[in-house]
Amino acid sequence: MDERTFARLAEEYAARLYTVAFRMLGNRADAEDAVQRTLLKCFAARRSYSPRWAASTWLYRALANVCIDELRRRRPAGAAAPPAPAPPAVEPVDLARARDRVPREARLLLALRYVDGLSYQDLARVRGISINTVKSQLARGKAILKAALAGGGDDGRP
Amino acid sequence: MDDLETTLTRYFRPGAPRGLVDRALRGAHADAPDLAGLVERLRIDATERGVSWIRQDGGGGGATAPARRLAEQARREIGEYLDGRRAFFTVPVDLAGAGEFQARVLDEARRIGFGEVVSYAELARRIGRPRAARAVGNALGANPVPVIVPCHRVVRGDGTWGHYLFGERLKTRLLALERSTPALVGCATTRIVCRHGCAHEQRVREDRRVVFASVEDAESVGYRPCRACRPAVIAH
Repeated sequence: MDERTFARLAEEYAARLYTVAFRMLGNRADAEDAVQRTLLKCFAARRSYSPRWAASTWLYRALANVCIDELRRRRPAGAAAPPAPAPPAVEPVDLARARDRVPREARLLLALRYVDGLSYQDLARVRGISINTVKSQLARGKAILKAALAGGGDDGRP
Repeated sequence: MDDLETTLTRYFRPGAPRGLVDRALRGAHADAPDLAGLVERLRIDATERGVSWIRQDGGGGGATAPARRLAEQARREIGEYLDGRRAFFTVPVDLAGAGEFQARVLDEARRIGFGEVVSYAELARRIGRPRAARAVGNALGANPVPVIVPCHRVVRGDGTWGHYLFGERLKTRLLALERSTPALVGCATTRIVCRHGCAHEQRVREDRRVVFASVEDAESVGYRPCRACRPAVIAH
């Protein structure tokens, strides 16, 4: 893939990549940083891109890897002292709170599913998991969201 | 409640700040910070028990063949780490020269996860000496085996990096390196999750790499931990 093709692809997907990152990480600075790292990584690997893969799968796989690794570094409050993330000013508070109760893997699949309408098959490819796992994770994630939104304080977990 | 579908669709509607791609790709042709040369400049000494001394004045080794092998292993692992191909060290360390307090500080520093940072005060609290932040700083400043005992992951409470044995610039580079290097990598075909740098993981093709935040996360979607590098026994 040449440089111009890559730049066009990046422009085409920028909004979707950013939204997935923003909804995963909860603030603009980290989201922009995650998109930047994803694009630089893919740019560096653009020559080895295989058309066997959909370009979207390739980009989302890289973005998911970056976002998930960023979440790994975030420890429970008080355990570490990274710079505090800026408050997520424009998120609907209820949904943001509910979303935080959804386990990371399910949250990622929900974001990819709703931002870009990825099929179960695409989601399975992005995360290297089975289609059945995709379905069960999405169902679980939605059940937790539903319960959290309906019940306020209850997190919907048994 | 198909309101949920509507709510989620609205919540996840794509949008990005202006100029995002231009900003993101601006650095694409810049040279990556050169850490690769560092490993050759290191002096690495080892005893038969483990690596005992690392400084930036070249050379080093060991008095006996097993010690020399450990020093070579350390050099290889540090080289891979600086190249972004490793997130953990298997080579043992020999901290026999450290006093009791320093040994506790170094031991606690080793528990700080790859890519994480902790303040001096927090590390002092973790060893049960909450008022000893300054002494913790001194103990880390005299770290006999920097990089392997990751004293660069300890920073000042005000968000600045603070002192580093190899200089603040290198501290920044190491922390940046760890920010862009994953710690747990799964293989999409074998569904095995390894620590980054495990011999099995190094053979996983680029397009099959899936990063996880924890072993539990990986297990929840059908991966199992590698039996060689045993990622489940690390702190995170």
